[in-house]
Amino acid sequence: MKKVIRTLVIAAVLIAAAVIFKNTYSCNMPVRNRGIRDAIRTGDLDVLFIGSSTFRANVDMPMMDEAFGGRVYDISYGGNQLVATAIQYEEIKKRSDHKYGLIVFELGPMMLTQEVALSDSRVIWDLSWDGKKKLWESMSQAGNTDPAMMYEYFVTSGMDDLVTFPVTEPFYSTRYYKGAKTDETPSPGAEKLESAEFDISDAQLVDAQAKAVSDIIEACRRDGQDFVFVESPCYHRLQEDKSFQKYRDEFTRILREKEAPYILAEDVDFDSSEADFFEDMNHMSAEGRRAYTKELIRVLTERSGV
Amino acid sequence: MNLLSFVFFAFLCILLLLYYKAGSGLQWKVLLFASLVFYMWARPVYVVFILISIVSTWKLMQNPVKSHFIWTIVINLGLLVIFKYSVNFGIHDLIAPLGISFYTFMTLGYAHDCYDKKITPSNDLLRYALFISYFPQLTQGPIGTYQEMQEQLTEYHKFDPENIKLGAYRVIIGVFKKLVIAGRVAFYIDTVYASPKSYGGLTIIVATCFYLIEMYADFSGYMDIVCGVSQMLGIRLKENFRRPYFSKSIPEYWRRWHISLNEWFNTHLFMPSVTTDWNRKLARLLGKVFPKAKKGTLRLIFPTIIVWIVTGVWHGAKVSYLGWGIYFAAVMLISFCTSSYVKKFSKKIHWNPDNVFVKIFQVVRTLFVLSIGEIIYRSESLENMKAAFRNILTDTRISGSSIAAAMTPFGNGNQAAASVIIIAVLAIAQFAVELAKEKDEKAFTGHRYLYAGAMLVVIALFGVAGKSNFMYQAF
Repeated sequence: MKKVIRTLVIAAVLIAAAVIFKNTYSCNMPVRNRGIRDAIRTGDLDVLFIGSSTFRANVDMPMMDEAFGGRVYDISYGGNQLVATAIQYEEIKKRSDHKYGLIVFELGPMMLTQEVALSDSRVIWDLSWDGKKKLWESMSQAGNTDPAMMYEYFVTSGMDDLVTFPVTEPFYSTRYYKGAKTDETPSPGAEKLESAEFDISDAQLVDAQAKAVSDIIEACRRDGQDFVFVESPCYHRLQEDKSFQKYRDEFTRILREKEAPYILAEDVDFDSSEADFFEDMNHMSAEGRRAYTKELIRVLTERSGV
Repeated sequence: MNLLSFVFFAFLCILLLLYYKAGSGLQWKVLLFASLVFYMWARPVYVVFILISIVSTWKLMQNPVKSHFIWTIVINLGLLVIFKYSVNFGIHDLIAPLGISFYTFMTLGYAHDCYDKKITPSNDLLRYALFISYFPQLTQGPIGTYQEMQEQLTEYHKFDPENIKLGAYRVIIGVFKKLVIAGRVAFYIDTVYASPKSYGGLTIIVATCFYLIEMYADFSGYMDIVCGVSQMLGIRLKENFRRPYFSKSIPEYWRRWHISLNEWFNTHLFMPSVTTDWNRKLARLLGKVFPKAKKGTLRLIFPTIIVWIVTGVWHGAKVSYLGWGIYFAAVMLISFCTSSYVKKFSKKIHWNPDNVFVKIFQVVRTLFVLSIGEIIYRSESLENMKAAFRNILTDTRISGSSIAAAMTPFGNGNQAAASVIIIAVLAIAQFAVELAKEKDEKAFTGHRYLYAGAMLVVIALFGVAGKSNFMYQAF
């Protein structure tokens, strides 16, 4: 019996130690080429993007580097959630004294319909304990927490990354450059993009995500931070979808109400019906990424004066 | 009651306490009561159907004549068909009672053995009820036989700490397989097989390999849990797996995978079909078409087809399950019909079956044939199945971009490498633990504390919580 108890106690101590270490120190792990910590390491920035995988795929960082003298970074995993974006903004402000000329937030219409949930564990990995707690509270307020979710959120999520860190980190870091994608993903072709199925007709507005837009705007104004919301063009089939348009209208309504600056897809000279420019409905191919980034730099420079 | 819930943990603790406190005459009654509580936990009303099955079969088999045997089949199969296949007749609100496929097989097996006079019918309804409703084997098997189980279930079991330790250890192994290994690969498989047309051949091949891992980890993990729980109660359940993925042929594989189900089909469907008059007649007819074929082989053809179609349909009335049954019937028949030629050919080319490379070749060949069957089985529609095969045949490339594409179903690229490493390490660790288990079955020695402790840590930190339904519960 003594051996059984000893085994259980040792296991419990090891588990507790790993959990505490992950939740407290994960945000300090020396990751390269992505995330809040690496963005802070880069120093003062002219442009900081905060968004989802759309920004990761659609922003060409070498071109941005050239345009802004290397003073640019892309924090590009928010699990499609504006709630996470708001927390990431607070986090980077809290953890650094650097100056950010312009912060570009993602105007992703369908982000308004995302459940406040654990949709991308990288967000948690990147947040300090306070940030983790804040995101959890948002999930709780939205009614998306239960004991199993709590276990996944605080215990299991990101554990893979923690234990495989020395092996996987060099691999990951080659896939990003300053938070943006580096791979040369080609388009699957017009035929596949035209026949790909998607259905967003059941999407519902999530109040917490809509409120997060206001929170971001208020936080930026509180800090005297210049910002702009940018809509990245989707493939024309999604861009023209009725539900998509409905949430796009809703997003821009909030921005207009708050008198917040924004750049829509059509404000940038980019052909969203060109299949060669897209990898799927909302992520661009390498070719599309470069074509879009070139025009986005022009519009950002003209409109926002960076 | 979910075996991976705190409710079940509490249930088991209370049961162990009452079970070992109870005297010799009462102990098995405690077990019967606990089994009924377990059964009624989700939907109390469904206890009615298992009781109908138990009482009618027991009563009819008191006098196991042909008409009674037929009635037993009609009642039990009738209930199974009504609940399991009603959805195919447009009735969508009937939910099948827990474990109906498994307890129906046990009931029919018992009735067949009584009818064949292999066993003496039970003269005690409650003891028979315990045999059918014994909770560890009720929902997913193993499908025990009356001869193996009856005495064990009703005899007195003295408290033995070794049984508790070994049982708990086995439960930990089962939870590890289910939550850590099966849980980790399931997401990938679900993503790819939901729309195989959207993925390249390499991704579908990876998903299929993962599916083999998931099936084994899920199902054998469940068996480890129920065998462990049963061992805590001093009752040994039949082993259902014997490292099936190391089989050197498909017939051998089916002797090592879900052993109790395959033995049931062999005893109660295959062997009786082989000796029937209609089979002899059909074999004779076939003999006229293939005069050189052996009589013995010809007699296996129709029973093999029947058993595999029934096995397929037993999983559910879906085209994919039927296709899976037909596929394995064909593979088994090819195996029967060509085995003598293959042996002759092997001798001719001096192919030594004991050579390690020959064995590896045979194992890989078996896995390849098996994988084709599992693609048929896992595809949710005919269209998906065609897309999966088409993309494997026409769109499989080994290149940097296709490897990167094969990583995407892990959810997001950042976790892909970590997932691959973790799955590989865990699969190897699990294999090592299983080998150790086979070598040292009886005593709870020092290294088991280390394994158990390590597995508890891994389960707690890497287990996929909250998605804990077992695959075979659906059947």
